[in-house]
This record gives sequence, structure tokens and C-alpha cells, in this order.
Amino acid sequence: MLTANAITKSFAGVPALKGVSLEIRPNEVVGLIGENGAGKSTLMRIFAGTHQPDGGTLMRDGQPVRLRNARDGAANGIGMVFQEQSLLLNLSVAENIYLGQESQFVRFGIVDWKAMHTAARRQLDKIGVDIDVTARTSELTFAARQMVELAKALTLEETVSRQIVILLDEPTSVLSGADIEVLFNRVRSLKSRASFVFVSHRLDEVLRISDRVYTMKDGEVVAEHRAGDITAPELHKIMVGRGLQTAYYKEDRQLPPRSEILVDASKLGAAGAFSDVDLQIRAGEIVGIAGVVGSGREEVTRTIGGFMPHTDGRLTILGDEVHFRSPEQAVRRSVGYIPRERRVEGLVMFLSIAENITLADLSAVVKNGLISYRRERSLATDWIRRLHIKAPGPDIACRKLSGGNQQKVVLARWMTAGSRILILDHPTRGLDVGAKEEVYELVRELSSQGVAILLISDTLEETIGLSHRVIVMRDGAVTARFDAEPGKKPDQVDVVKAMV
Amino acid sequence: MNSTSNIRSLLTTGWLQGAIPPILLVALILIVELAAPGFLSGETLMLLLANTAVLFILAAGVTFVILIGGIDLSIQAVASLASVILAQLLPLIGMAAFPVAILGGLLFGILSGYVHVRLKVPSFVATLATGGVVAGIALWLADGRAITIEEAGRENTAWINGTVAGVPAVALIAAVIGLVAFFALRYTPFGRHSLAVGAGEPAALAAGINVPRTKIIAFAVSGTLAAIAGTILAARLSSGSPNLANQLLLPAIAAVIVGGTAITGGLGGVARTAVGALIISIVRIGMTFIGINIFAENVVFGAVLITAVAITIDRSKIAIIK
Repeated sequence: MLTANAITKSFAGVPALKGVSLEIRPNEVVGLIGENGAGKSTLMRIFAGTHQPDGGTLMRDGQPVRLRNARDGAANGIGMVFQEQSLLLNLSVAENIYLGQESQFVRFGIVDWKAMHTAARRQLDKIGVDIDVTARTSELTFAARQMVELAKALTLEETVSRQIVILLDEPTSVLSGADIEVLFNRVRSLKSRASFVFVSHRLDEVLRISDRVYTMKDGEVVAEHRAGDITAPELHKIMVGRGLQTAYYKEDRQLPPRSEILVDASKLGAAGAFSDVDLQIRAGEIVGIAGVVGSGREEVTRTIGGFMPHTDGRLTILGDEVHFRSPEQAVRRSVGYIPRERRVEGLVMFLSIAENITLADLSAVVKNGLISYRRERSLATDWIRRLHIKAPGPDIACRKLSGGNQQKVVLARWMTAGSRILILDHPTRGLDVGAKEEVYELVRELSSQGVAILLISDTLEETIGLSHRVIVMRDGAVTARFDAEPGKKPDQVDVVKAMV
Repeated sequence: MNSTSNIRSLLTTGWLQGAIPPILLVALILIVELAAPGFLSGETLMLLLANTAVLFILAAGVTFVILIGGIDLSIQAVASLASVILAQLLPLIGMAAFPVAILGGLLFGILSGYVHVRLKVPSFVATLATGGVVAGIALWLADGRAITIEEAGRENTAWINGTVAGVPAVALIAAVIGLVAFFALRYTPFGRHSLAVGAGEPAALAAGINVPRTKIIAFAVSGTLAAIAGTILAARLSSGSPNLANQLLLPAIAAVIVGGTAITGGLGGVARTAVGALIISIVRIGMTFIGINIFAENVVFGAVLITAVAITIDRSKIAIIK
């Protein structure tokens, strides 16, 4: 149906794809895995028409095609569901589904809304979801928006006479477990009329949904398997070139916490977000908060990070009662925040590694009130060496680094600032398996140095695996608490029960 | 089509890495020297520096605001107000008129910053409005007229119009201000914080930088330097007027951008603005030379500003230009 032959693509002289060949057959789900930078996303964009290959050919039903833009891609029946969702939140569901295709509903220069709503309804029926097509998209849950995206991609069926191909670029990275099941069920039932390419970091998911799996590494396809013929650990080994360690979360390095209490929240609450949260974190302790989107766990971390003042209860940091009105005040109290939006809140992408490392605390490099660039560079060079940051030097802008190396720069910043309390907000989001392990390594290291850590994470395994204690929140309140000592980690099933 | 976009990206990177503006400056000097031999002689160069001083001081101030990602449209009004205050107070309190006039600029700079930061009004609207307020106050104080600095007052302004070791005093003042501003931006935590706020405000906030204070300081610097520029202008023209600096906003912002400071913030500095101000000055001289009506100069500066922004704006930083 869709074939790539020896596709090459370089960005500014750096090869992203070095002659990739693969094939998507009718009515199948093809998994595509690889670490960050392996070239998965580039290949997807070439299929969708948003990037053009430097060399090689694309074949559609045996005919070579040139896709100059996303419109060409759509004309060839190739649709993409984006990793970062592409819906316009201020428009209705129906308007989003038919964005750019409204002309078919225009009568005498006026949009026939009724016809559009009926048609949108029909698209959503195809995937069997019940969403109000007149609802404003911003009112939908993330999972529902994903369904709308899928419905939008399915409109291609009506404009293209042949079978369509839908590219799913990490669609599960922002979905909770139940929503992932829903998505998978839809994909399975749609297989009779479309082919799917499924890109993900999560190997078990890829194996569950796919018929065949291609593994990419360094811009090349290094393996092709039938999904039934291989296990996730084996696949992981091929993908990163080493085995999945049993102690993925470095549980052997999980030491008992010290006695000193660094964070003490008592009946903490923020109007409309959460209430009556009791939370203590000792030096060297990692406390994870589990909960679904809207459980209030994000707001708890934002409150302790100084982004959102609390309205009820007491917050005691390092023995003093505090009422943060800005992150600056939290940072002064030795609280460091590692945000999920690395490129927005984590780093100033256009500043260098050195400048980002000293951003929270310049005192180590300031002499007589002036910044010493020599000291700053040597400090940064030191961190680059200690944390194995892959970069040509401390003057490189952070936007040129990979996600894992960017995260190390953020961690280096808080270590430079001497933060005794760290908030990790989805610290491994978007990182490949190798980079995740390095982050886990660092988290354990910080914990053993006596840093108190508050963790919220994309996956429950990560929360349970890393934490000493797990607190579960639902609808703004704490619903359960679990000890998570090594060897006595709580069962995921029990934690989930308290979440939903 | 491909080759034009290549040239364009070459220009963009060259400009924003600071290579092109100095080359342009040297090229312009050579052109003027070829057209009018003797331009490079000491005397005309000194005149060029003296004529650039006021523009540079204004532009250096607004550089701080542009670096944090904002804009200050009130500078010409603040400069004019300072000239009025100076002209009115010189006969009454002598030299003390200078600090009073400059303090006025500082206060209105802080006011602009406060309106922008605390009331969360976009800086172009905030400074458009405060600029209007300031212009109104200047008109009101001066009763709508220009105020000549009389003989008695001129004793106190003579030093500005003099020379030190053959160098015009105004050029020296501009150089000192330029150096202090350069060091403040490059070597102080405030300067670093300004760049961080301009290049990535959410990250700067999360890193614990006091973003509101950094912004208000930038506006305060802009207002102060605008007032200094206004007092110098008044001293040179021996007059204060509510319209004195009215044609200077456009060339000042053009100087900043032509010098290589990004309009989107976070990239640039005062040294670049010095180069930009000299470029604007030489273009102005060149226009007189080839006979363009002096009243039409802002036609040229408007075109220069549009061209410079169009070439240099980093479209990867802002997806949609509004």
C-alpha cells in the first residue's frame, strides 16, 4: 500500500534517515519503535508530506508519488494524528473535523451547519464514540480530543477512493490506561478499512496493538518482526543495544530516608483544585503522587513549587511556615522544580548550557557583583563531564541538545543552586529508554545525598518504582497511601483502585 | 526560489550573530568617504559622534526593553518632557535641574513597567498610553510652547556643548553610558536575567528569577536614558520643547534592530546598538549628501526598520506574526 524505498533525509548536514525502506500492507497495524533521534518522527513527516526526502522514493499502491505538502499527503489518503494535538480548541468538534474542508457544506455562500454536524456525527460513529459535535473542543478531555483527531483523519475515506493510511505519532503518551484501551479497540475495529502506523516509546503497547514491528536505530531500520515472535525485553535490547535491566528503577539503590522532615504540608488546600492534603517528605525520600488528570496532583506540585499560592492549611519548608507567591520565593527556600514542559518551562532554549545551569543561582560564578564567564564555563564543563551530557561544549544553545541531555542540564541547575527539595513533574516525558535510565540514576543519586523529592509521572510503574511512598489522589483529595520499600512495592492494581 | 531563501537565511544568521552590522557600517563609511573625500578626517568624525550621541543614548535605553521581549514607545515623550523640565528649572535651581529632569524619566519608566507587569498590559499598549500621558504633561507644563534656555541657564549647559581633549563632551557622555550599559547587560545578574526573560520567560520564572522586577528595571533604565537624552538635546539646542524629540522614536528603534538585537527579545546588546546608531547617523548624513529632503528622513528610517525586522526576525521563535 505504502512503501518507502531507501529514503534519506538530512537536517543541516546531519543525517536523520540513512536509506530507510519499509512497507505498510493493507489492513495492518505497523509498529515503529526506536529511541529518540532514531528517525521515527522524520519518517512519519515524510509519509504525511510535511517533510520531503533528500533521496529514495515513496510508492503508493505501486506507483511512485511525490508529496510536496500535507495536502498532497491527504490527497493520497495519508492522514496523521499528531503527538502534540492539532485541534483548534476554540472551535467546535464538527468545525475541527472538517477544518479546511468546509466548502462541501457551503450553500449560497453560507455554511450549512446542520449538514456539517450530521457529517461529523457520522465520522464519530465510525469509531463508535459519543461526543457532542457542537461542543467546544476545549471542553473535551484529552482522550476525547484524541478520538476527534482520529475521526478527522478518517474523513479522508470520503475524499480518497482507495484505502487510507493513518499515522499515529505517539498517541498514547498523554493518555491514561483506560483511554489507551479505548483507542486500541478503535484501531482494531478500523483495521478492516484502513492501515495504521503506530509510533511509540512503550514497547508493550506496540507489541499489543501491532501486527508487525519495525525497529529503527540511528536513522536506519535495524529489525522487522511479527509482533507474536518477539517479547518486549528482546525488542528493547535491539532498540538500545543492551538488555532491559531487572532493576530498571535502580531499586537496589533505594536507601531508607533520613529523619529530617524537609516538606510538611498539613491540611493543605487551594480553592477549586485540592483540599486537606497531608504530605511529609524527609531528606532522601522520594514521594510519588499517583492520580489521573484532574486529580489535583499537578496543583499540589505547582503549589509547593510556588506557582500557585495555597488558600488553606499550612505549608512548612525546611522548618519554616511559608506561603509562596512566586516560584522565586520557592527557589529561595531551596525548592527546585523540574517541569514537564522542558522546552517551555525547563530551559531557556536559546541560552547556552552554561547560562542555563547558572540561571537559578549565579552566586557560584559571580565575583564582586560581576559574572565571571571563565568560572561559569568551567562550572558547566564540570557538569557536562559528571552527568555525561552529550554536547560539544558549554556554549552550545540548549535547543540543540536531545531531550535527555536537556533534562540533565535542568538537574545540573538545581544541583548548582543546592536545592534540598526537588519537584519532578513528569521528569522522563518524551525521553527514550536509555535517557530515562540515566535520569533514574540521577534521581537515586540525589536521593542518596539527602534531597527530598516529590514525583509525579506519566506511568504508574515509574511512580511506584522510584518512590519510597506513594500517595494517591482523586478529585482533589488523598484517597490512599502506600509504602513502597524495595521488595515490598505496592501492586499497580491496588493503586489504580484508589485513583478511579 | 531556493537560492533566495538561502541568501535570506544567510542574512538572518549573519545579522543575528552580529557579523553583518559592523560590515555594513564599514561599507557605509567607505561609500561616504569615496563620495566625499575627507569624511574620515578627525573633525567630521567627531561631528558624527556628537550627532549620534543623543540617538545612541535613547536607543541604548530601549535596547534593555527590547531584550526582555517588550517595546517602549514612550521614549520620545519622556525625552521631550525632560527637555521641558530642564529648560524651566535651569534658571531657578541651576545644575540641580539635570537630576530633577532625569528623575522624571526614571519615574515614568517605572510607571510604564508597573503598568505592563502588574496590570498585565502588553508593553506596546502600556508605553503608548504612558507616552501619551507624558506628552500631555510636557505640553501642559510648557503651555504648548518651546522654552528657550536663556543666557543665565546656558552657563549650566555649556559643559555639554564643549569638548574634552578635542572630543565632544556629548560623545564622551554617550560612551560612558554605553560602557556602563554594556557591563550591566553582560556581566551583572540583572543583565543575565534580562536575556533569560526575553528568550524564555516561563523558564526564567520557573528558575526562580524575579521576572516582574527584571522587567520593571528594564523600563526604568529606558525611561532614565530617554530623559538623559532629552536633557542633552535641550542643552545642545538651548531649548526645551514638548515636541523636541518627536522624530526620534523611529530612528532609535531602527538603530537597535539594525544593530542586531532581535525584536523578539533575548538576543543582542548595547554594543550592537552603538553600531546600529552609527549606521543610522551615517545614513542620515548620506541622505543630506544626495539631497533627500530632511523632512523625509523618517520615510527612509521606516523602510530601514521594516527591512531589518523582515530580514532578522526569527520565525522559529514566533509561529504566527500578529
